[in-house]
Amino acid sequence: MKPGKWAKSLFFLAVGFLFITPLVWMLSTSFKYESQVFETPFVLVHWNDINWSNYEYLLTESPFLTWLKNSLFVVVVSVVFRLAFAAVSGYAFGFLRFPGSGPIFVVYLLTLFVPYQLYLLPQFIAYRFLGITDTHWALILPNIVDVLSIFFMRQFFMTFPRDFIHAAYLEGCGIARSFIRIAVPLAQTPLVTLGILSFFMIWDQYYQPLIFLKSPELFTLPLGLHSFQTQYGHEYAKQMALACLAIVPVLAVFLMLQRRFVESMMSSGIKG
Amino acid sequence: MMGMGLLRGLPPRNNLRQGVTIVSKSNRSLERSERTVGLVFAIPSLLGFLAFIVMPILFVFALSVTEIDLMDNRFSFEGTKFFHRLFKDEDFWQAFVNTFVYLAIYVPLTLLLGLGMALVLNAKLYFRAIIRTFFIIPYVTTYIATLVVWNVFLHPTQGPVNSLLISWGLNPPHYMVDTNWALPVLAVIGSWKDVGFHCLLFLAALQSVPKDLHESAAIDGAGAFRRFRHVTFPLISPTSFFLLLITIIGGLQAFYQMALLTKGGPSFSTTTLTYLIYRTAFEYYNFSYASAVGVILFTITLILVLVNWIWQKKWVFYQ
Repeated sequence: MKPGKWAKSLFFLAVGFLFITPLVWMLSTSFKYESQVFETPFVLVHWNDINWSNYEYLLTESPFLTWLKNSLFVVVVSVVFRLAFAAVSGYAFGFLRFPGSGPIFVVYLLTLFVPYQLYLLPQFIAYRFLGITDTHWALILPNIVDVLSIFFMRQFFMTFPRDFIHAAYLEGCGIARSFIRIAVPLAQTPLVTLGILSFFMIWDQYYQPLIFLKSPELFTLPLGLHSFQTQYGHEYAKQMALACLAIVPVLAVFLMLQRRFVESMMSSGIKG
Repeated sequence: MMGMGLLRGLPPRNNLRQGVTIVSKSNRSLERSERTVGLVFAIPSLLGFLAFIVMPILFVFALSVTEIDLMDNRFSFEGTKFFHRLFKDEDFWQAFVNTFVYLAIYVPLTLLLGLGMALVLNAKLYFRAIIRTFFIIPYVTTYIATLVVWNVFLHPTQGPVNSLLISWGLNPPHYMVDTNWALPVLAVIGSWKDVGFHCLLFLAALQSVPKDLHESAAIDGAGAFRRFRHVTFPLISPTSFFLLLITIIGGLQAFYQMALLTKGGPSFSTTTLTYLIYRTAFEYYNFSYASAVGVILFTITLILVLVNWIWQKKWVFYQ
C-alpha cells in the first residue's frame, strides 16, 4: 500500500471521468423528462421516476430503426467490399510485387495528403451524371478504394512466409487458388482488425450522406441525428436518448473488442 | 525471400524421382510468374485508384479553371477567373484565417494532451485499464452524436456547464453563439474527440522505450524532465512526427463541428476553408469556385507537409 500511488491513481481516475462527463450527462438526461433537463440542483438519476418514454418514442414513432438499418447496410457492404479489395491489392503489392509495384505504391501513399472533401466535388458531378445520387451506392462506392486499407494489407503480405505459398504450388495450386486457399485464411487477423477499424470509420461518416442523400427514408444514423436535432430543436431529452442509441452499438463493440482494438491501433501506429 | 533460399538448398534435381522433378519445375515457373500474375491482381486496384482518386484530383484542378453548367453538363474554359475572384473575396480570406486559427489551437492541444494522457497511462497506477477506457471513449463514439450532446451541454444560458459557472457567481462566455469563442470551442471539441487516437499511438511509442535507458540516466543524476527531454523524447520522435502530420492534415479537414453546431457562424466566425467548399458547392452549386478553394486547400496541405518534412531533420531521431 503506497498512499502516493493511490492518490495519483484516484486523481487520474477522476480526470478520466471528467473527460467523459458530456457522455455521462447525455446518459443521465436521456432518462429524464423535458422539464428536468436543466434542473437545479442537478440529479444524476431520479430513481423513483425514471422516464423511459424518450426511448419508447424513438423506437416506435421515430425513423430511428430505419436509420439504423440504413447505417448497418452501408457499413457492412462497404466493409466487405473494402476488405476484398484491400486483400487482393495488398497481395499484388506486398507479396507478388508486380513490375513497378514499389514506385506505384509511393504514388498511392502521396494521395493520403489530399483532403477528402476534394474528391467529393467531382464525385458529386459524376454520380449526378450516372443518376446514383440519393442512393446508398453513392456512399458505398467511394468507401471501397481506400489507400490506408491497401497499405495495411500490403504491410501484412510483405512479411508473409513465402514457403507456405510455394508449398501450395508444389501441391498443384495456382497463384489465384493459393491466394484464396492459403493466404486469405492466414490473413484473418489483419482482415478482422481492418474490418473493425473500417466499421468505426464508416459508421461515423457524415459528409457523404449530407451531400448525396435527399430522401429521409435513406438517411444513415449521423444524418438522421442531424435532421432530428433540427426538427426537435428544444426536445433535448429526446435528442440525448437518440445520441445514446447511436453511440451504444459502437461503444458495445468497442468494449467487447477493446484489447484487440487497442493492440492493433498501437501496432499499426508504430509501423506507420 | 526466405523461401527462395530454402529451395536453393534442396538436393540437385537429378537426385529426385522423375515425378517430383516435373512438379518442382512447374512450381519454379509459378514462382517466376508471380510478378506477371501480380499485374492481374493489381488491375482492380489500379483501375479503382485511377477512377476514385487520380481522376477526381485532376478533375478538381480542371474544374477550378472551367465554368460548369450543372443543368446540361456544359463546360467552358475560364482560365484563372475564379482565382482572381477568390483573392478579392473577403469571405475567402476570413475562411483562410479561420482555418489557421483552428489549426493553431487544435494541433498543439491534441498533441500535448495525447502525450500527457499517454504518460499517465505509462506510469505505475491502479485502475490503468479503466482510465485508458475513459480516455479513448470519445474517439470511438459516433461523432455526430457527441456533437448533439455538446450542443446542449454548452447551452449558453441553461446548459450544465454554464449553470454551474453562473451559480459560482461567474459570467461565463456563450461559446458557440459568441464570435470570439465559437472557433476555439470547436477546436477544443475536435481535440476532445480525436485525442484518444494520439494517446494510444504515443503510449505504444512510450512502451517501446527501453527501461534500462531511463534507469541509467537516473543513476547519472538526470531529473524526470531531463530524462524525458533527452531520453524519452528522441525515442518517440518518429511517432510524434507521424502524429504531427496526421493532426495537421486532420485539422485542415475539420468539418463536422461547423456543419452541425454553428453552420459556419455566428457571422462567418467558424467558416473554415472546408466549410466554405461545402457551402459554395453544395448550397450554392458553384462547383468551379469551390474547386478553386479546394486547390488552395490542397496547396496549403502540401506546403505544411513539405515544411514539416524538411524541419523533421532537426528534431526527429531515427534509430
